[in-house]
Amino acid sequence: MAAPDAPTVIFIGQPNCGKSTLFNSIAGLKAETSNFPGTTVKHTHSRVSIEGRLLDIIDLPGTYSLCPSDPAEKTALSHLFSEKPDLIINVVDASVLGRSLEFTLELIELGWPMVVALNMMDLAEKKGVRIDPEKLASHLGVPIIPVIASRGRGVKELLDEAFKTLEHAGRPGARTWSGDVESRIEELAGLIPPEFPIVANRRFTAVKMIEADRLFCDVMLGELEPDLKAEVDRVRLGIESGRSAPAYEIISAERHHQALKIAEESSRVEHGRKVPWDRKVDGIIMHPFYGYVILAAVFMAFFFLIFKIGNPLETLLLKPFMSLDQDLGRHLGSNVFFHLADGLVQGIGGGIAIVLPYFVPLLVFMAFLEDLGYLARAGFLLDVFMHHIGLHGKSVGPFILGFGCNVPAIVSTRILESRRDRIITSLLIPFIPCSARTTVILALVAFYLGPWAALGFYVLNILLVAVLGRVITLFTKAPSPGLILEIPTLKRPSFRNILKKTYFQLRSFLAFAWPLLIAGSVFLSLLQAFHVDRTINAVLSPLVAGALGLPRELGVTLVFGFLRKELSLIMMLQALGTSYRDLLTVITKEQLLVFTVFVSFFIPCLSTFAMLWKEMGKKIAFLSAALSVSVAVLLAWIIRIVA
Amino acid sequence: MFLSARNSDIMPVAPNMRTKGMSLVEAPIDKPLRIIDIAGGESVRRRLLAIGFHKGDVVELDSVAILKGPILIRSAACGTRVALGRGIARKITVEVLDGRS
Repeated sequence: MAAPDAPTVIFIGQPNCGKSTLFNSIAGLKAETSNFPGTTVKHTHSRVSIEGRLLDIIDLPGTYSLCPSDPAEKTALSHLFSEKPDLIINVVDASVLGRSLEFTLELIELGWPMVVALNMMDLAEKKGVRIDPEKLASHLGVPIIPVIASRGRGVKELLDEAFKTLEHAGRPGARTWSGDVESRIEELAGLIPPEFPIVANRRFTAVKMIEADRLFCDVMLGELEPDLKAEVDRVRLGIESGRSAPAYEIISAERHHQALKIAEESSRVEHGRKVPWDRKVDGIIMHPFYGYVILAAVFMAFFFLIFKIGNPLETLLLKPFMSLDQDLGRHLGSNVFFHLADGLVQGIGGGIAIVLPYFVPLLVFMAFLEDLGYLARAGFLLDVFMHHIGLHGKSVGPFILGFGCNVPAIVSTRILESRRDRIITSLLIPFIPCSARTTVILALVAFYLGPWAALGFYVLNILLVAVLGRVITLFTKAPSPGLILEIPTLKRPSFRNILKKTYFQLRSFLAFAWPLLIAGSVFLSLLQAFHVDRTINAVLSPLVAGALGLPRELGVTLVFGFLRKELSLIMMLQALGTSYRDLLTVITKEQLLVFTVFVSFFIPCLSTFAMLWKEMGKKIAFLSAALSVSVAVLLAWIIRIVA
Repeated sequence: MFLSARNSDIMPVAPNMRTKGMSLVEAPIDKPLRIIDIAGGESVRRRLLAIGFHKGDVVELDSVAILKGPILIRSAACGTRVALGRGIARKITVEVLDGRS
């Protein structure tokens, strides 16, 4: 993939260390960043030219150590070893230096050229910790460059140092551990047979064999190299003798204590025992009572902000398109050209006037919450309730992301350690009303039936997710392993970060969905001109007209709803041959509700379905689709009977 | 060497500093606590080690969620905060460190 002359540089660090923010400021808008552990769950590849020099830079998912425990960490490690980087840039969160250095020490054991980017220096200083980068560098034996990635500070110095290290290729040496542990590891390193695949170096390979997961690596080693396996077991026992802990824990403790000592010796704590502002704020945000009040307020704000901003904007933006459409009708009559122009106007107008007013505020609000670090806190608060649906607080993050878009939400389930939790969470995410569906809900339900009906719809939707979760967990036996979730330091959301993130998602909408929307609208218009839509409607008529009691013209819109949910809305007006204002003259309020419910749930959209297939496999993707169709039909029926 | 001295932290601490161990869910809030044992499955133990919580470490209980919800602990050494589900918290034994603040 890469030309041989560009060196490969890997960005690696613990979750939430600001790695993606730093990577973005170098590579442009590639990786998504947030203040939630484990946002980068896929690796990002980028070729950049810095002052005329090429670099292949790779952003890896955050990982706490080189012993992976969730699928995102496994991705990180498999790339680290398969790319054989020319340089590692280890991004370290200076505000939790002691913990972060444990991983730095582990990376140094690899003996590969390395530079440490000491990020979030501002946050550390706010906590009253002043770090001396030179002292730290002399302790670790690798260059340390202080950076503040969110403000782009120190990035140039970091790149200069990276080029310098690439040229001189200095290899850091691992620090030795306490007497007998070190000698036993050396002994094992000497016993590794010459033909054995060495990772990085002998000592590193030996350490990893001792640390290895008993379930997988051990069994494999036992099959392939029974003699070596016996030696590993002997060395393990040797290390464990006299200490009441397994060998992996002893090795981890060695790094832990070295890291804490280095952190202590190279930093100075300044103002005494004053409680920092963020802990005071957190005391309220995560308070057993006020925490939930705030959480409820956040959701209400979420809803009304979009409604108060989105709705007036929508009305304003729709006007010119409606008058344009009427003018077209007057001038062109009802020939093919009218249908073509009509489809075009509806598509462009639909994108601008219906989707953007709701989509953009939603994205901004979401980015704000993520940047602040609220997702993890919501996870803490909602853990109890998640237990009732068989999950725990860590699934809250993916769920909340799902309100923005289901696709990244499904990818983000990689932060869940157990496959069971991943499956349940991925099956539930398609039922979370994403921004596209919120658009449909707000535009149809709120516009015609009032804001309270829309809010009710939202609440019922969340209840539905809970009920489904409960039902799905009936079929799984093993209980969830429980919550271990790091709560990142609260950050003042950076305006730049929020804008970047919003722009990033908006761009993918403008580049992918909008053209599709316009093309779809034109296509449907032409279908009408040539009366082909009647065939599709006739095929779907038993479902649409028979089961749901809707005008049979809506059949064709369902096909488009599979591409993107908001398409159904725009297509509905198109299909019924009416304008936004006159909709209720064509269908009843009950039919509108049935249509909204059915469109919201009847199938995960194409991108979600594809992502489910890719992440969880064919079986789960089809299971999800089947679940959606049954739930949609059932709910639509219930509404039809009740209303 | 300092390392061999620090390693004694892995093993039970000196008897005079020792009070009765209790599970993390029973521990008092905002008092320094020393982790004396982490029980539970290997994967949970590994996860805790990776996130920076070891036997011998001093932690503080920040808050406890309602309705048997998770607890929030903070490592005194590096300031990391982690939310732990009750099930996991119950398996961590701590002792209160008196005379320190």
